[in-house]
Amino acid sequence: MSNADNRNSKGVETTGHVWDGDLQEYNNPPPMWWTWAFYGTIVFALIYWLLYPTWPIGKDFTKGMFNNITFVNDKGEEVTTHWNMRALFLKDQQTGEQAVKQREYLDKIAKSSYAEIMQDPDKMAFVNSMAKVLFADNCGPCHGRGADGVIGLYPNLRDDDWLWGGTIEDIEQTIRKGRNGYMPSFAGVFPKEKLEAVAAYVLSLSGIEGEDKAKIEEGKHIFQGEEGGCYYCHAKDAKGMKSQGSANLADKVWTIANVPAAATYEQKLAEVEKVIVNGVNREMPAWEGRLSDTQIRLLTVYVHQLGGGK
Amino acid sequence: MAGAAVPVVHQEYNYDIVKKFAIAAIVWAVAGMGAGVYIASELAWPFLNFDIEYITFGRLRPVHTSGVIFGFGGNALFATSYYVVQRTCQARLPSDAAANFTFWGWNIAILLGGISYMLGYSQGREYAEPEWPIDLLITVVWVTYLWLYVETLRRRSQPHIYVANWFYLGFILATALLHIFNNLAMPVSLTGMKSYSLFAGVQDAMTQWWYGHNAVGFFLTAAFLGMMYYFVPKQAGRPIYSYRLSIVHFWALVFLYMWVGTHHLHWTAIPDWTSSLAATFSIVLLMPSWGGMINGVMTLSGAWDKLRSDPIMLFMITALSFYGMSTFEGPMMSLKSVNALSHYTDWTVGHVHSGALGWVAMISFGSLYHMIPRLYNTTIYSVRLIYVHFFLATIGIVLYIVAMWVSGIGQGLMLRAFDDYGNLAYTFVESVAFMHWPLATRALGGGIFLTGMLIMAYNIYKTIALARREEVAREAAEAAKLAQA
Repeated sequence: MSNADNRNSKGVETTGHVWDGDLQEYNNPPPMWWTWAFYGTIVFALIYWLLYPTWPIGKDFTKGMFNNITFVNDKGEEVTTHWNMRALFLKDQQTGEQAVKQREYLDKIAKSSYAEIMQDPDKMAFVNSMAKVLFADNCGPCHGRGADGVIGLYPNLRDDDWLWGGTIEDIEQTIRKGRNGYMPSFAGVFPKEKLEAVAAYVLSLSGIEGEDKAKIEEGKHIFQGEEGGCYYCHAKDAKGMKSQGSANLADKVWTIANVPAAATYEQKLAEVEKVIVNGVNREMPAWEGRLSDTQIRLLTVYVHQLGGGK
Repeated sequence: MAGAAVPVVHQEYNYDIVKKFAIAAIVWAVAGMGAGVYIASELAWPFLNFDIEYITFGRLRPVHTSGVIFGFGGNALFATSYYVVQRTCQARLPSDAAANFTFWGWNIAILLGGISYMLGYSQGREYAEPEWPIDLLITVVWVTYLWLYVETLRRRSQPHIYVANWFYLGFILATALLHIFNNLAMPVSLTGMKSYSLFAGVQDAMTQWWYGHNAVGFFLTAAFLGMMYYFVPKQAGRPIYSYRLSIVHFWALVFLYMWVGTHHLHWTAIPDWTSSLAATFSIVLLMPSWGGMINGVMTLSGAWDKLRSDPIMLFMITALSFYGMSTFEGPMMSLKSVNALSHYTDWTVGHVHSGALGWVAMISFGSLYHMIPRLYNTTIYSVRLIYVHFFLATIGIVLYIVAMWVSGIGQGLMLRAFDDYGNLAYTFVESVAFMHWPLATRALGGGIFLTGMLIMAYNIYKTIALARREEVAREAAEAAKLAQA
């Protein structure tokens, strides 16, 4: 090999030029393997060009040979075309191994009622497989990928409390059309003592009572009377109304005020007061049009079983 | 080794400008790599964004890329190209003022760029983020650079132009072309920063990646090959292995690179034929890229014994090895089927850094360690610290690349995994959670590499300080001699 010649510098001449005192160049030929590998890559390219669309010719381009793709277009006709990304994708969607497996189940889901899906362990296994990813990719950014929500911001979907109803139909409606949870702000409406009184009453509804019973009574008066009018939405029994998405204040579940995390009674009061002052304004977007009907159905079943739907 | 045989006395060359650029290269390396380690840490530990808009990942990332590519790489190229063209042409740069203008103009442009990104100004074009006023400054600087370079070549007292100069000149010409066309834009107003690109849609994307990949090809490959072609034979004290190979691979490289940018856009809305052309030209580019590696390695191959005694040679051989590895990896990743897995994952990031840290930075370190003591007519402060730098840099790179392979290939495989029902097996966020430890390891690798860089900065600082003292001592001795006489 010529390499050996270069190593002992015998037999190989330099080009005769010298720069900067000592810079010279041998005139070795390129290594044979390099030359042949270079030719090899050119042959690879030539074959590739023969098989795939490659060279532009005017407004057209070479289509490639021996490499056609057959797929079904949206009119249901079988089409054979030269290799291209779109056809490759459509063909994979139609006849790809995974797509075929998935479609078999998707067809079954589309034809089944909610009750049929929920009674069939095989279908439920599919729901859990597909909706888990759908949920985490689409709903997870707010509700968390485990659906635990964020207290104060996004509802927990794993508990037993459903602001907008927990039946299959309610949940589908929520996903399809979205929801807009609203409570007006009472900032500046009440002086501090009255605010505290309402908060004390709200806490007492779920069994958290301070020393000052009179204050609770005063709060009840405001809540149940025209002064506060809280019962318009939260109802006389304070259990909320599904049609309003108003919270049930008589259970121990808190979605906005972080009462469970507050250590003292005063801090719990402050948490509730904050909600009364700030109000609530939160929105869940509508998913109809963004997700397919089947995807919405899958998510409905998935969410329903997360929190023990009604 | 080199000093004794130089036929032209040093004072005739403009070394002042070379010194300025060399020092700026080191300053930018510390700043740019520092920014890199910080954003790498932000990815592993997002709280480091601290909700401060100026230092979020999105704004700091171009500060890092501009800092290392144009700050460190660019200044190293200016420094070495001015050094090489003067010495191999035996001609001084034609204008000191113009040379100084390129120094201040270039560095102010990068500084302004970095500040503007942090303030939120960006064209949103990768590696071409500066808005139009800064682009105009860069254009003027670059044309001045071209003029200085060509004029020096014209004044050469050698009949032949040394190979390193072809590569440098190719880089300067191509970069001018790329910079101007990719940044054609219409400012919204003459008093504001915002502008709109002249291109739209697919053409816009393809212009951007024509630019983007040739920034890799001409800025980070051809130009650093120019560096290699001067400093490797100089340091090894041996002739270049093959003149013929250098001709063939130079022309093949500059011809082929121009075609391949579209491989950054595989499986997007581009026409299929553009994708195929880019993939095949990328494959054909493999051997021309390797031509430079072969010429470098074969030049060193007569001097293997020096690897035991010369850490600068270690930097150079390692640089050539990483160059060979990343120019093999690149064509593989530009094949559509491989790209389907690698694209949008950290594999790309790892690939870039095996080129950027392994090749660009390592060959620059070797060249700067060779050049700076000669500029100051002294020897390096500590050879031992060069060894320490070398080993830290190598360990840092290996950790970095392996972490990115794990992260990128792992995420790529997770995103295409199916379960028994033909459903996606993983959510996107699961793939992100998986990446945490690789990302943390990457930040560690980058931190180790940066530590090596800090040691280099210290070593160079001490070398220059020592040189100044030697200079004073020499002058005092001469004055004493004169007084005696």
